Amino acid sequence: MRWVTLLLALVLAAGTFFVPVLDAPGVETDVGVSPPPIAVCPVEEGSGRNTNLSVLSTVDGPVGLTLFTAGESAGSLASATGASGSLVIPVVDVAAVGTVGGLVEMPNAISAAGSVVQGAASMSAEACASVPEAQAFITGGSTAGEATFELHLMNPYAGEAVVELIVESEAGTESNSRFEAVIVPPRSSTFVDFNDLTPGRESLSVSIETIKGRVNAIGRLGIHGDTGVWRALPGAIDWFIPVPKGSASKELIIATPANTEIDYQVDLFTPSGAEEAFATGRLTERGQHVIDLGEVTEEAIGVRVVSTGPVVPVLRWSSPDIGVAITTGVVVEANRWFLPGASTLEGGWATIIMLNAGIEDSTVSIRPLRENTSVRSFEVSSESVLAIGIEEADGYLVESTNPVVVLWTAQRAGSTSAAIGVPILDG
Amino acid sequence: MAYCMTDAPAPLTAETQSVEAPNDAPRVKVLLTLVEGSDFDAAVATVSRQVYDPVPDLVIVGKAESVPDGAEVAVTLEEAIAAADQSTDYLWILHSDARPRPDALSALVEEVERADAALGGSKLLVAGSHDVLESIGSATDVFGEPYTGLDEDEIDLQQYDVVREVSFVSSASMLVRRDLAQGLGGLDEKVPPVAAGLDFSQRARLAGGRVISVPSSEVYHQGRCGGKSRKWREQAGRLRAMVTAYSPLTLLWVLPYDFLVALVDSLVSLLFLRWRPGARHLMSWGWNTLNIPSTFGRRRRFKKVRVLGDEELFRFQARGSVRLRVIGSELSNRMLSIFDEDQALAKRSRRIWGSPGIWGAVLAVFILGFSMRSIIFSGLPNVAGSFPFEAGSVALERWFAGWNESGLGSPDAVHPSVGLTGLASILWFGAEGAARTVLTLAFGLLAVVGMGRFAGRLGLRGPGRYLAGLVVIAGPGTAVLAGSGSWTSLAAASVLPWAVRAAFVHESEKDRSHLSRFGWVILIGLTLASLSPVLILVPVVVVLAWKVWGGQGSRLVLALSGLLGTAVALQFFYSDVGWLLEADRRIGLSVDDLWPVLLVVGFLPLVLLEGTARRIGSLGVLLGLAGLLLVRIPGMGPGIEEASLILASFGAAMVVAAGLDRLTGRPKHLMSIVAAGAILFFSIGSLADGRLGLPSGDLSERLGFSVSLAHEHGPGRTLLASTQRSDVPGEARSGPGYWYRVVDGTGMTHDEVWLPSPRDGDEALDEALRLISTGSELRPGEVLAPFAIDWVVLFGPEFRLDEVLVAQFDLVPTPLDPDSRVFENPQAVALADAGADSAWQRSASGFSGDLGSGRVALALNHSDGWSPQPGPVGWQASVSAAEGVASFRGDSYSVAMAWVAVAVALLGLILVIVGRARR
Repeated sequence: MRWVTLLLALVLAAGTFFVPVLDAPGVETDVGVSPPPIAVCPVEEGSGRNTNLSVLSTVDGPVGLTLFTAGESAGSLASATGASGSLVIPVVDVAAVGTVGGLVEMPNAISAAGSVVQGAASMSAEACASVPEAQAFITGGSTAGEATFELHLMNPYAGEAVVELIVESEAGTESNSRFEAVIVPPRSSTFVDFNDLTPGRESLSVSIETIKGRVNAIGRLGIHGDTGVWRALPGAIDWFIPVPKGSASKELIIATPANTEIDYQVDLFTPSGAEEAFATGRLTERGQHVIDLGEVTEEAIGVRVVSTGPVVPVLRWSSPDIGVAITTGVVVEANRWFLPGASTLEGGWATIIMLNAGIEDSTVSIRPLRENTSVRSFEVSSESVLAIGIEEADGYLVESTNPVVVLWTAQRAGSTSAAIGVPILDG
Repeated sequence: MAYCMTDAPAPLTAETQSVEAPNDAPRVKVLLTLVEGSDFDAAVATVSRQVYDPVPDLVIVGKAESVPDGAEVAVTLEEAIAAADQSTDYLWILHSDARPRPDALSALVEEVERADAALGGSKLLVAGSHDVLESIGSATDVFGEPYTGLDEDEIDLQQYDVVREVSFVSSASMLVRRDLAQGLGGLDEKVPPVAAGLDFSQRARLAGGRVISVPSSEVYHQGRCGGKSRKWREQAGRLRAMVTAYSPLTLLWVLPYDFLVALVDSLVSLLFLRWRPGARHLMSWGWNTLNIPSTFGRRRRFKKVRVLGDEELFRFQARGSVRLRVIGSELSNRMLSIFDEDQALAKRSRRIWGSPGIWGAVLAVFILGFSMRSIIFSGLPNVAGSFPFEAGSVALERWFAGWNESGLGSPDAVHPSVGLTGLASILWFGAEGAARTVLTLAFGLLAVVGMGRFAGRLGLRGPGRYLAGLVVIAGPGTAVLAGSGSWTSLAAASVLPWAVRAAFVHESEKDRSHLSRFGWVILIGLTLASLSPVLILVPVVVVLAWKVWGGQGSRLVLALSGLLGTAVALQFFYSDVGWLLEADRRIGLSVDDLWPVLLVVGFLPLVLLEGTARRIGSLGVLLGLAGLLLVRIPGMGPGIEEASLILASFGAAMVVAAGLDRLTGRPKHLMSIVAAGAILFFSIGSLADGRLGLPSGDLSERLGFSVSLAHEHGPGRTLLASTQRSDVPGEARSGPGYWYRVVDGTGMTHDEVWLPSPRDGDEALDEALRLISTGSELRPGEVLAPFAIDWVVLFGPEFRLDEVLVAQFDLVPTPLDPDSRVFENPQAVALADAGADSAWQRSASGFSGDLGSGRVALALNHSDGWSPQPGPVGWQASVSAAEGVASFRGDSYSVAMAWVAVAVALLGLILVIVGRARR
């Protein structure tokens, strides 16, 4: 019996080695990410300025606006995009506020919002940001001369946000305790005035590193009595920017938030064709280069920036006659674009600039979003740019047979604005 | 007055001694008190044979059928005493069941005279015995509890033959001065003899008389008058004697003290399954309450003759309480006998330390104490599967087909251990925390003792059997179970050896009552099944295997009877069979690959041994390996996984018990010692943390904010989530990329460890979490509000929910716990929402609040068992507010199954009690 037992024991022991251990029960696969259809918009009211928020969508659906400041809602509005799929909300009709953040809840994921601020002698436009990234970068700021540069950090969420700012200028990395652990309370905005903290800087770039929570950051640059507004974005290695026509200074600023040297190349797309490697260079750590596109041509053109590491390019367009406009590039080409807020303004004109960086011609149709409109179609040759004047609307929907990149710009006496379009990627 | 009914034989031999009494000797009157059932003629004869001059007069006290010539008759003793004239010097009060030696009276008179005493008592010997001492006059404690100082059945070797003052003498044979007796009014006829003697002795002493014991006066006493059926009367008599004799000041403290002693005696006796002491105390106090008027009458009469203070009584009393001393002694004997099956300690053997196994027991208990130090000093951890007990009554209510509050609630049965914890809490006077700690410590001790006793019953005597108890709770399976926080697994492992042992009968116990044996098997089976229901099969398996191996003493019928214990888990199986069969609910624990090797290596030397050790080792290694293999078989749920792991430890423990049985230098033994020692060493490593291997932490404290920051309608629920399974306490549900569950905001309790089968509400919550996890929901608080989720707490590394909750509008991040991410949900509804700003509060397992004409929405899974007027609102339950209470009662099947379990428990209890009584 003893040997039988031993044999049995050995068999059982062998069994424990040959029968594999069962996997511990696991969790189900993560569900897909579906960002909420929201946009966070900069709002400026007072001092003769008014903000119109434009909401564009492919559907007739509900729109909510909440103006948040000091931890609470300063005013809210519930409306709908209507049959046109568009809605313009004059903030002055919602609440009397100053410079605050506005949270727009849109009908669905294929929607976009933009903010257009108009003053007596100033104008700015920018597409509103969606759910922010943990790291973002903004370049193109300046505090030299009469220029003013302010960073507007908006936190529409229920939790407090804390960010660290890494500020780079021609003087190197700026050191100031107020750049560390900048707190943005829930449902509030925090403003960082660089004229106070780093006055007299020709070029300023800011990395926004989120330690806690989430914030949307926009830059607000004041030159020549006008204001330009643009978003902070995460760095990328491939960018497109259409450039409006005009004689003003058109500077392409390429900067990197990375702590390494980065090579870049700028390809140029003009109405007469493309010029590859129009400009090349090497960015030092957190460095920036400025390329004056105004010297190339006054016509509308487009640029593509490719790099070996993360960079963020912006287009700064300014002159004493037209004020200043500044906008970021986009990292994708798309067949459909929303241009929220794109419209001819009273006493001025507006243009859409379409860049076709592809090798095939593209037929583009432009649809103003408002009641009773008509669609216009144009041919945009491959590797070229087309600028089209636009009429009054809540915004525009641009559809193309091949991927393009779209920007809109508006001018009025002494002031100008430019805003890159919002690509519709999943439509 | 007729208390003694024993019809004992006459004295063996009454020595005939010629004792010449002088003619001027005191005159004595014999008051022969009739005792029912005694031989009256024989009594008269023994009196007449007394060698005493002048011949004493005889007075028959009571209703005698025939009166001898010359004898007087008195109806009562008081009457007889009063009738004695001044020519009588002494009264000899004698029971008719007493058989005095011929010289008994003369000895009494002589010594009483010599000592100038007022009262003398004879030495009482048990009639029909070989001079077994019954009484030599007693000391008492302050409560009158006699303390004879005699051992049971102690033989009279004249070792106490010295005349001395005593606290009292028995009224079976006492000589009292006539004047004193008349002054005191005689014996108290309402109380039995011993108490009457005590009362009379105390009053005599306080009246200035001396009370002595006269050993030279020997009387054979046929009946022990304080027999079983009269014990409560004796107790009552003692209490009455106290009230009669003591001063008010003494009574002020002695009566409450006596009450407390009675209470302790009753409760401890209940522990030993003796109900009679409690009943006796109850009847004693009741009788005295009814007789207060006559007691006070006696007290008033006695006051007139009292000349001394209570101090005179205290001089002859033992310190403290005799009864408490007896209880303590019995408790300690029981405790010692737990470890000392040979009863070397109990018998006060001088070879205590030579007793087999005692060293192993001492070492095992020492290691166990070290292994439980953190529990002893800091309490149990509140994490994973170890949480505080609910209030006893609520836990029992839940077990008895009540509402299962775990998760979003369910009519499904709670885990059967909830009933056990409820019972423990109630027995521990409602102190759930203390009950939990004491129960855990007791389980640790039970494991060591149980394994020792089990292996002892199989025939092992060495130290290994107790040390093996440590392997039961820390062996390969239980270590990982305890590490995962499974408190019930630890407890079940501790009870398992007892359950298996109960199916074995030791050679020396074969003649004992079968009823008691069956009763214990059922009771232990119920306990085991309530902790880990599947383990109930193990005793059957062990018995069958033991028989195959040719072992003696196993009883299949006993093992099968133990299966009745499954009754306690019937409801649980009925409502959640997935606990046995759903593989995706497994705990997912794995045992180190080293263990099968260790078990085989531990067994190899045992193959070379002969007899019991080899047989036990064989069984152990096969059970252990089978347990380790079973846990790898797919298709089994957490119930079987848990039982398999415990079985692995139990098997390993048997190998250790066998391997460490003989500590000799023989090579075969040395090999087995080393191999078994290795298993023991690797096992107890997991106990080093001082928590019996349970993980550390206090989730209740960490989540305490849910109570302290609760809304005015009281705490709701807390949603816990993590990608790490171990971060989420108890059972958890699988969400999109993480584990989650909801817990009661008032603090998670033991009953919440197991989640019932998902119902509509659980599915709704699952959908809500999926939606939130996509990040598309900006107001997750609003989505979670209907589930009464006040708080969301995320544990472990950051994951999907962290990402989405950082960008939302209505869950407020609140830094309340440094080790987790906490979000408050201000939107959450009340658990019981009566509308119009009114919320009902929890009340036991239901809710109560203001009466109203509307309905109360309960944020619980709907069930028709809620009342009054239940009605679903989506997945939620709702009831009418008309009665101001919302309560739940399970369906008739569940109730019937609960009753079956109660009936089985009662059956077990009755069998044990009846069996013990027969023994």
